[in-house]
Order: sequence, then structure tokens, then C-alpha cells
Amino acid sequence: MIYVLYSIVLVICVYTGRHYFFTLNRLFGFQRHPYIDIDTADWPPVTVLVAAHNEEKVVANILDALMTVKYPEDKMLVIPVNDRSTDRTREIIDKFVEAFPGRIQPFHRVGGKGGKAAALKDAMELVSTEVILIFDADYIPGAGLIKQLVAPFFDLEVGGVMGRVVPLNAGTNLLTRLLDLERSGGYQVDQQARMNLRLVPQHGGTVAGVRLSALREIGGWNDNSLTEDTDLTYRLLLNGWKTVYQNRSECYEEVPEVWRVRIKQIMRWAKGHNQAMVTYGLHLLLGKHRATLRERIDGTLLLGVYAMAPITLVGWALALGVFYQGIAPLHGVIALLSLTAYAALGNLAAFFEIAAAARLDGTSNRIALLPFLILGFAVSIFSVSRAAFSQVSDLVTGAEFHWDKTERFRKVL
Amino acid sequence: MNPYLAVAALLLMVTVMLMLPLVPALVELFRKSDALPLKVVQENAGEIRHFANGFRDYIKRLEPTLQRCVADGTAATGSLPDGEEYVVLGRADEPLVAALQQRDATHPVMMAAGIDLIVPPSGTFSRDIYAGGQFIGGEQNNYRAILGEINVHLGASSRVMRWVHAVGEFSADLGCRLYGRISSDSLIRLNGECSFLRMNAPRIEIGSMATNSDTPPSIYPASKDPAPSKRFLHDGDFDVQAGEVIGGNVVIRGNLHIRSGARICGSVKSTQDMVLEDGVSVEGSLISARKMLVGPNCMVHGPIVAERELRIATGARCGTLEHPTTVSAPRIEVEEGVLVFGTLWAREDGQVVARQ
Repeated sequence: MIYVLYSIVLVICVYTGRHYFFTLNRLFGFQRHPYIDIDTADWPPVTVLVAAHNEEKVVANILDALMTVKYPEDKMLVIPVNDRSTDRTREIIDKFVEAFPGRIQPFHRVGGKGGKAAALKDAMELVSTEVILIFDADYIPGAGLIKQLVAPFFDLEVGGVMGRVVPLNAGTNLLTRLLDLERSGGYQVDQQARMNLRLVPQHGGTVAGVRLSALREIGGWNDNSLTEDTDLTYRLLLNGWKTVYQNRSECYEEVPEVWRVRIKQIMRWAKGHNQAMVTYGLHLLLGKHRATLRERIDGTLLLGVYAMAPITLVGWALALGVFYQGIAPLHGVIALLSLTAYAALGNLAAFFEIAAAARLDGTSNRIALLPFLILGFAVSIFSVSRAAFSQVSDLVTGAEFHWDKTERFRKVL
Repeated sequence: MNPYLAVAALLLMVTVMLMLPLVPALVELFRKSDALPLKVVQENAGEIRHFANGFRDYIKRLEPTLQRCVADGTAATGSLPDGEEYVVLGRADEPLVAALQQRDATHPVMMAAGIDLIVPPSGTFSRDIYAGGQFIGGEQNNYRAILGEINVHLGASSRVMRWVHAVGEFSADLGCRLYGRISSDSLIRLNGECSFLRMNAPRIEIGSMATNSDTPPSIYPASKDPAPSKRFLHDGDFDVQAGEVIGGNVVIRGNLHIRSGARICGSVKSTQDMVLEDGVSVEGSLISARKMLVGPNCMVHGPIVAERELRIATGARCGTLEHPTTVSAPRIEVEEGVLVFGTLWAREDGQVVARQ
């Protein structure tokens, strides 16, 4: 038992070190934004896919925004992917098609497999451009965003691009404020540090782009994946393509305003991520492919982030067991256990990351909410662990995953 | 002391101490002093002319005064509603301009001229300048910002702190320091030893040009889509031989050396240093994760990006008039005789250097 605990301690220490390393890199290291200055070019044709499943509350906002972006009109085609919506989504999209002839080509999907990846896969029959951008329907792209997301594709090594997500409803309640801080840490520090260090920035599946030839080379969208973005990141990496992160390509999104929705969302992410870990983990670390050593290590650690929640829970249980069994670990290991208690009880290194992100964002008083992140962390650790355990039990019982769409909170126009 | 009271006091104290770190959090949660979404630039697209356009809108309220002064051949002074003091010139008045220059340190004013504006040397203008006619600056002047409706010319060793936009041509004599955004709707011409950061114009000439050809004859036409063809991916250093023609995209995970006269009918990426020798032509983009040298008489159609340093040798052409492009790196050295169509952007330092 004690050796299992030692292993868990070691893994947690690795993740703690990783968080600190990323934060220090972001604060003091060389910052890579190689493509952000490309403001003049012979811009390529681009297709913008907008994934929409029952999005009557938000779909008009994004279509409105896309019709006003600064990108040559004759080179941009918007395809709203209306995935079996039962609300007014179709009607709203069709009104836009009428108002902007030739600029929007709707894809109304009435049947088929559930999930975003399956919908995008079907919509590919309408796509012929080399550059594809993807947005979820609750996003509101700014005027310069399309050019910023297209610019990295002038680099032939780049297969995927990811921009930064910024919550628009940040001030609604405690949950949205905590998610705002979490997003800040995740993008401003974590993703950008991975970009700086040439590691594995993660494709987020929205405010994102993918190269058609790369997508074809890796076999297209994987509709068996629960998180098509994580799946895409790893298949691109294993096939010699890079995903790059553009921290200054920012876009507003809507974050969940109630805990129930947040829990469902994070459980889905956890299941998808764990699925990718099982599918690609071993091959990424030890297989024969073009990823560099640092990409192999970082990619593996990234795949394991959602597995850390159940591992931490098990660690806590083992630590209690060791205590009550009266096992006295070596003195050095006691020190290590202390570090574990420090790092695991709230994963404070991640909080350090978030604090640094708030500073980099130039915010003032929102950082005062940092202690409340313990609450968000507690909810996450139990939700993610629950997702992992249910995933294992589903595997045993053969139960199928039910796709839960994230509920929207914006008022209908 | 009553032991129950002591325990209660201890519990209370511990609770207070535990809650103490949460006090600022609770205050912020209820006061919501910093609860707005992070600011995301939604409207402008990082357009280089953003400040110039803003200034043009700002100065519109002076238009009647400008027209009247030009018609009467007079000058006028006053303040805008925000308290900004101005001088409007309706005739050439070098003594007045010289006087404004002299008192700038103590009493700076915004200057708007409806006619050609000729500025004496060795002065400072710490407020924005508007020139409805030509703007001709003397040597060793310091400017904050200039909007010129026709041509703008800066004398040798002048400095610009924020931006210049010329509807006509912009030119800077020897040794000018251009710290902000420089844009023109027709042409930018920089002479030797100038430094720059961000410039945009349909045509940017560095030093005197050997040829005035806008579209080099040997460059390939622009493709409709970037990199539709397959890429050649190589791990390790790589040499493209002199005169070799490569009909596709090239990605090298190492150093890349493209020898004289080679032609790449696609885009090129190197994860380390990249050297283009004399007369190389590239139809697509050139991206290097470290240093890049674009040799003499090279022709590149697409964007050029070096993540560390870039040197462009004399005779090189970047982009075409029909297909402008971006040349970008933290540090750029451009030899005299280089022609760029579009944007030339040095994040940290850009220098015009003598031909080698």
C-alpha cells in the first residue's frame, strides 16, 4: 500500500512542478507569438463551421458577428452546422442565409449519430477550402479574429490552431466568476507556456482551426470520440502536425451559470480526455512517430490531467489508511507526503497559475476570489472522479455514452 | 475562567482566523468591483491606421475653422471641448511654427494646417499634427504623431514617437528613428540608417532602388489556396541545391540552406536557421523558428516570419503590388535596395543597414 502511495505522491509532485514551471515561463520566459503580426497577406479561402444544436438563444449573435469580421468576403464561407435542432435554430439560420446571399451555406442535419464530431464529419461534404475554422454557437468573434486564426496556416508545419476563450458572462455569479479565473489560468498561462516551450498546446474545438489536408491525412473527424478536440490534437501530433496557440486571438464565450450544467460539462470533458489517454497515451510516449521528446512527455502529462482527480482521491484514502495502520514512512518520504498534502489539497500550484494569469491579464480585484477556487476544485475532483469511475463501469456493463449538450443562458433575441 | 467559555473563545478565534483570508473574497463577491468580462478587442482588427483614423475623426470639428483660415490666409487659436489647445494655420507661417516649436516644452499645442506645412529643424512637437497639404519636416525634429493628407517628409535624424500616416508618400531621410506605426496609402521610402518598428504601405522602398519593377518577372502567380499540394517533411538539416526547382511545400526540422537560383513552388518552413542565397524565389511563405537570411535578389511571394532575427539583403522583393504580404520578426535588418509590398514589422528593433 505504501508503495502505491509513494507512486501517487511522485506523480502529484510531477504535476505540481509542471504548473510552477509553466507559470514561471509565462512570467519570465521568452513569449512566442510568431504569427500574430501577419496582418497583410494574400488571404486564403476559409470555411467557418458553426456547430449548433438547439442554439436559438445564441446562434444569431455569432452569425451577426461573422458577417462583420474583416476578412475578404469572397474568400469566407460560413457553414452553420445545424445538428438536429428542435427549436428555432433552423429558422434563424435560414433568415441569415436570405439576408447574406452567397456568404452562408447552411447544413441542416436531421438524423445520424449524436455529438459535435459526427455533425462536423457530415458537414465536411460541403467543405473544399484548405483552411477550416470552427466555432461553437455561443461564441462571438471580433473583427480581426478570422485573420488571426488563419495566419498560422501559412506555416506548413501547422495542422491546428487554437485561440483564447474569454467568458462573456463572467460576472453573473460565483460559478461564472470562478470559471472566468480558471479559463484565465488555463489559457493565459497553461496554453501559452506550452506554446512558448514548443510542447503540446491543446486544440479546443472552438475558436480554432484545422488544415483540411492534415485532417484528411489523419482520417477526418473521429465521431467515436467524446471530445473531438483532444482527439484531434493527438492525431495531428502523431502524424507530424503541430497545433499552435494564439493567446491574442481572443473570443467571448458563455460559461455555465449553474453547477449542474458545469458538472455535466466537466464530466464529459473528463470522459473524452480519458478516452484519448487510453487510445493514444502509450503510443505517444513510446511509439515510433515524429513527436519530439518534450512533446511526448508533455503530451502524456496533458492526457493524464483528468486522471489525476481519482488518483488524488485514492491517494487521500491511502494516506489515511497508512496513518491508521501506524506505518511510519521514511523521514524523507514524510517530507514528500507533506508536499503531497500541500499540493493535493487544492492543487495549489494550479492556483499559482491562475494568480499569475490574473496579473498578466491586468485585472485587479477578481484575484481576491482565489480562495473560493477550493470550492470549484472540490466539485471538479469529485465530478471528474465520478466520470472516471462511471467510464470504467460503462466499459464493464457495455453502457453507451449519452451526449449532453451544454445548456445556454443568454436571453433569446 | 469558565472552561466552556475558554473553549468557545478558542473555537471563535480559530474560526475567525480561518475565515480571515476569505474576507477579501467575500467583499469582492458581493461588491463585484472587478466582475466585468476581460476586455477583448471586438471592433478593430489591429489596423495600423487605427490611431490616424481616430485622429481624423477627432479633428473633423476643426474643419470649418481650417477652411476659413485657408480662405482668409490667417491663423487661429482655441481649445476643443476636451480642453485640447490648437493652432490652425491657413497660410505658410514659419515664424509662428518656430515659436510653437520653442514653447512646446512649457505649452504644447496641437497644430492643424490647411496648407503645406514646413517645419524648421531641431524642435519638438509633443502634440499631434495635422497637415492638409504637404508636410516637410526639418532635420532633428521630434514628433508625437503626424497625419498628412498628401505627402509627409521627415528630415534627417528626426524621431516619431507614436505614429505617422500619409495619404500620399511618406519618406524619411538618413538616420530617422520611427518608434511607432508608419503607414501610407501609396509609398514609404526609408533612407539609410533609419530605424523602424511597424510600417505598412502598398510599396515600401528601403534606400535607393535599383529597379522600379513592381512585379518581378520570375515570381510565380499566387495560388488560390495555401499549400494545397503535399508537403515534403524532412528531419535534420537540409540543402536545396543551386538552381533546383521544388514543386511543393518544404518543412525541414533542422537548418535549411537554399542555394543560389533555387525555386520553391510552395511554402517553406524551417524549425531552425534558414539561409536563402542569391536569387532564390519562393512562391509561398517563408517561416523560420530561429534566424533567417534572405539573400540578394531573392523573391518571396508569401509572408516571411522569423521568430528571432531576420536579415534581408539588397535587391530582395517581398510580395507584389497585387499580392501584398507581411515581413515580421522581433529584430530585422534590411539592406538598402529592398522592396516590400505590404507590412514590414519589427517587434523589437528594425534597422536599415548599408548594402554589403
